[in-house]
Amino acid sequence: MEIELAANLVGLAISVFIGRFAYAGYAAVGSPNLLRLTIAFISISAGFVMLASALFAGPGLSVAINTAGLTAQAVGYFFIAMSHGLKSSFDFLPSKRGTALLFIPFTTAPFIIPGNSIEHLVRSISFILLVYVSIETMASYMQTRKSSTLMIGSGLGTLAAAEIVAWYGFIFPGAFALPALLAKVAGFGLMVVPFSRLGLGRVEKVDGV
Amino acid sequence: MEGLKKLTGYRTHISIIADILDTAREYSYEGHDKGATVTHLIRRANVPHRRLSSLVSELKASGLLKEVPEESRYQISEKGMEFLKTYRQFKGFAEGFGLRV
Repeated sequence: MEIELAANLVGLAISVFIGRFAYAGYAAVGSPNLLRLTIAFISISAGFVMLASALFAGPGLSVAINTAGLTAQAVGYFFIAMSHGLKSSFDFLPSKRGTALLFIPFTTAPFIIPGNSIEHLVRSISFILLVYVSIETMASYMQTRKSSTLMIGSGLGTLAAAEIVAWYGFIFPGAFALPALLAKVAGFGLMVVPFSRLGLGRVEKVDGV
Repeated sequence: MEGLKKLTGYRTHISIIADILDTAREYSYEGHDKGATVTHLIRRANVPHRRLSSLVSELKASGLLKEVPEESRYQISEKGMEFLKTYRQFKGFAEGFGLRV
């Protein structure tokens, strides 16, 4: 329990840190993408708070709080994916945007497993969102060749791997919970490394912009 | 034109503003201290004259750009420099996630 609590608190600290930085960026330059990143990391942070709280709750309540935490994090991943989706939609010709929507039904395929619990449904949604986001981030890396993009793309890929490992607990309940949580925290750790080079000093809002 | 669009991608409002401010900065400090002309700004920002005029008015009103009296030239203000610095910092942050500011 101590390791799980520590891992969740580390995850919380990292996501609060990135969220705070994204909010400072939104407040300074007013970019919608930075607003979406802020919402995403607030949601992910809230998820970590719930996951940590679930460790102290009774057996029945613990499952519900755990599922709520995972759902909050899935919402966070959705907002990151949404930013990429909006960016990519501009690269499609308007006539081909409708065609791209045809791929959506394929993403629901992994959810149709009889007897699957809500937790595992949420994990599979998170997995798909994270795979999409990490592929988009890696595609950006291929264009820009920036090491920070590579680190964040790898972090998102690690988060996706963590979700699929945790999802596999559907078959062997509880067997992979701790490795999955540690992989998740490692994924967030990879995402925070590039920020050491971005200059994390105090960011002041430029009035009137 | 479409090929060019594919290479450069779409530009956000804030990136066009940053292009305008960056051009004004180049003509404010680097040996061209008379300021940037409208032609310089149009070339770099790659926007029609009408749109540029409204953007320049917006930037002047918010104190990021200053007009050189009687010359129709534009220089970046201290506040504009501060904005440009912050913009670059968060551009790097967003690009880390493969996004645009």
